[in-house]
Amino acid sequence: MEKDAGSLIQNNSSKSAVVRRILITGICAAAILGLPLVVQNTYYIGIANFMIIYTILCMGLNLILGYTGLLSLGHAAFYGIGGYVTAILMTRHGFSFLPALLISGILAMIFGMILGIPTRKVRGDYFCLLTIAFGEIFRLVAQAWIPFTGGAMGIVAIPIPKIFNWVIRSEVDFYYLGLILVGFTWLSLTLLIGSRFGRAFVAIREDDLAASVMGINTPMYKILAFSIGSFYAGLAGSYLAVYQTTITPSSFRLEESCLMIIMVIVGGMGGMLAPISGVIIMTLATEAFRSLAEYRMLIIGVIMVVVLLFRPQGLFGTAAFKD
Amino acid sequence: MALLETRQLLKHFGGIMAVNDISLTIGEGEIVGMIGPNGSGKSTFVNLLTGLYTPDKGQTLFRGQDITGMQTHRITSIGISRTFQNLRVFQNVSVLTNILIGRHCQIDNPLWKIFLRPLAARKTEKEGREKAINFLKLANLADRMDEMAKNLPYGEQRLLEICRALASEPALLLLDEPCAGMNPVEMDTLAEFVRKIKAAGTTVFIIEHNMRFIMSVAERIIVLNMGKKFMEGNPKEIQADSGVQRIYLGEEEENPC
Repeated sequence: MEKDAGSLIQNNSSKSAVVRRILITGICAAAILGLPLVVQNTYYIGIANFMIIYTILCMGLNLILGYTGLLSLGHAAFYGIGGYVTAILMTRHGFSFLPALLISGILAMIFGMILGIPTRKVRGDYFCLLTIAFGEIFRLVAQAWIPFTGGAMGIVAIPIPKIFNWVIRSEVDFYYLGLILVGFTWLSLTLLIGSRFGRAFVAIREDDLAASVMGINTPMYKILAFSIGSFYAGLAGSYLAVYQTTITPSSFRLEESCLMIIMVIVGGMGGMLAPISGVIIMTLATEAFRSLAEYRMLIIGVIMVVVLLFRPQGLFGTAAFKD
Repeated sequence: MALLETRQLLKHFGGIMAVNDISLTIGEGEIVGMIGPNGSGKSTFVNLLTGLYTPDKGQTLFRGQDITGMQTHRITSIGISRTFQNLRVFQNVSVLTNILIGRHCQIDNPLWKIFLRPLAARKTEKEGREKAINFLKLANLADRMDEMAKNLPYGEQRLLEICRALASEPALLLLDEPCAGMNPVEMDTLAEFVRKIKAAGTTVFIIEHNMRFIMSVAERIIVLNMGKKFMEGNPKEIQADSGVQRIYLGEEEENPC
């Protein structure tokens, strides 16, 4: 009898929690969707668009770093692959945006696989070094292969994207396009994480050996996490290409990869939406201190140290990284 | 046909013969124990069976199929599951998730289905969840399923690890020193649990140091010494054997003082 009462109370409290959750989600969704109606200044919408790009990048990186526990410092390379693929397909081969977007994601994924296969059994720190090397190789190739990538000048005059009859031209148009991409990223990652694949990734992060004893093909799942995470980076790169209308190698330096890692760590590893808080804080910080030029990175570093001192698991991370 | 058979299994690390020419069989539905002093090769033997080590010589047959040198995750998927001497539950996930990870091979949701038929995938997932809860009920852990695994007391973490191994629905369960660090009460709970597992039709192979425990659960015991099989028999025979006593207690000294 007592137990029944207890479960009843629990039910009630969980019900009100659900209501509260729906309410909070609703308010957040309304705020995000309505932002361009309230904020008229396109400069701020532009900042929001960069937040969107980093959100897609960091959600993908979070799959690799937060869920599977692989420290990859080459994420900017996959971002760049997406950017260049879209730029080349749209400027030289007359592709429209949607197929270019899809091919960018898939090619980034294939490159993720190509890097993942030889590194699947490499220990953590060496894996990290290899991803740095891959990122730098990509950037140098992009800089040196002038006929194909345009070298340091990059590729310019990428056409205005069009989806069916929707011509995406203004900052606000790009804002909504970005939201659609974030929605897709969130939905697909939620499905993946909630499945046995997501659990396998977490098992690998927690204890590689025990995971293999559970019947998980750990090398294969590492490649899978790595290539799926890269897929989203490819999408983000594609978006960047049409948004900026130019693409240059300097957008894909090692610092970019580091910034993404910092965003994921500050936001919190291993929670689906946690990296977003890191993205918002870090993007605002870089914008606010733009006048300080080189000292910006110093401030970003300080923010990271302060957050990690007081919340080792990141702002909204799971307790997995508390200790 | 025996469920598991090893033929002259041999593994050395440098000059040390960790496992030296061990042949044994485990029949369907048995509880077999393996004892031996520290460093006698018991854990190495289990690591050979589960593919964590590859033997230098010899063969392992599971249901007549040669599984020597097979990858660990494949061995699990065909029906051999294990626990570890030093507890290896997934600390930072819930108790239920631990079991669900253990059921990895049983939840048949291919990648395409998760994205293209999410509702069907979810249904399979839900069934898996119900079965996982049943495994927790077996060990009286069902009411703690949402708790973080690391917050369970030590004895329950041990039970959880066994449950996780059982969740893959193995034909053969290997327990590597399940009593390590347990108090006598926890040990009795464990003994009862092992008997329950056997009654449910799973063959159990236990490596253990603790004599009281192994004598109370095992039906047949294999004694290992310096990597070699020293003796095999039922608990009574093993207890009565002076050779086994000598291995465990050392040679009787002439002048104790």
